[in-house]
Amino acid sequence: MSEVRVSARRRSVGFLLRFVALLLVFYLIVASHPVNDAVIVPFTAAIASVSGRLLNAFGEKAEVVGTEIRSSSFGVNIENGCNGVETALLFGAAVLAFPAGWKRRLLGLAAGFVAIQVLNLLRVITLFWIGLHRPALFNSSHTVIWQSVVVLFGVLLFLLWASRQKPLSAERSPAGRSRKG
Amino acid sequence: MLNGRAALRGLVGFLLALPFWFGFSRPYESAIAAGAQAAINLFESPDVTRLQPGNGEILLDRRDFPPGSARPGLPGPDIHFNFVLLVTLFALDHKPLRGGHVARFLAAAAALFFVHVVALVFQVHSVYVTSLGAWSKANYGPIARNFWAAGFHFYQIAGRFAAPFVLWWLFGRREEEEPLERPLRVGKRKRRG
Repeated sequence: MSEVRVSARRRSVGFLLRFVALLLVFYLIVASHPVNDAVIVPFTAAIASVSGRLLNAFGEKAEVVGTEIRSSSFGVNIENGCNGVETALLFGAAVLAFPAGWKRRLLGLAAGFVAIQVLNLLRVITLFWIGLHRPALFNSSHTVIWQSVVVLFGVLLFLLWASRQKPLSAERSPAGRSRKG
Repeated sequence: MLNGRAALRGLVGFLLALPFWFGFSRPYESAIAAGAQAAINLFESPDVTRLQPGNGEILLDRRDFPPGSARPGLPGPDIHFNFVLLVTLFALDHKPLRGGHVARFLAAAAALFFVHVVALVFQVHSVYVTSLGAWSKANYGPIARNFWAAGFHFYQIAGRFAAPFVLWWLFGRREEEEPLERPLRVGKRKRRG
């Protein structure tokens, strides 16, 4: 195997190790009771509130109580796993594990978080609509389709962001220098 | 580089993976239930746990449950829907159907099967440690309770989404020198000449 390939392989495995370690740390933080109660639950309630307003703007008569959106015939409770936080964790761990400058990382994190949350709002609204008007499709839309779409969106956002970075380790490594020269 | 064509291939992969996943969910659940039951039974004496798939759920039964009592149902799709993510990520490659890439996809899918079996083992034990009242408290201490329950919770919150990404990064993604999409050739005749 050439030196360049070995170096790339090492960087690749290093990225994965950092990614998994960061994901574990982020999980421990968001799963802890104080963070869950003080940050995650209010954040989820805010998602429910914005979704409720948008649904009402589209003519659905939705009422929001905490993290639950209800109408006269259907209701959903937004739980962990449906609030976009899991995709944001994945995206955040990948961006921070990737060798790039801090300014670019922070910009990527902010833009990615907003984009993921916008898509997640669309997910909550459409799932509520499906539950109300096409209840037979709710389970598969909820578990498989929308969940996959949001996670894939996070992964593709990361790949797009990463493809625009110059990895720092590549620039510093002999392989990186030889490519420039 | 992730570009429009790679994203389109990913979309096609996603749309092909969905009906495949819907069609093969039941036999797949039988396979992961058999694997998880064998793994759990290895450490039980006597081996009492029985996992029976059916109707989108994996029914958790024990030979020492009172007859006629309710059996917990574990939602199967929550564990293995991430197969769709794996297919989509592998479809991003500029030649997704070439032999080597397909072989690496099969290796990643086999690794994902192993992840699903382990996740189901954690899910069964998380039911045992948290949902069976006095029996749970009598048979599991606080360390075991936290280990099994937190392990499955981690899979639910982060692991099931991260697993396909990690496997694709390990098996399917070409090294950084090779972008996801090869650049269009410009002046190819010049190069050949």
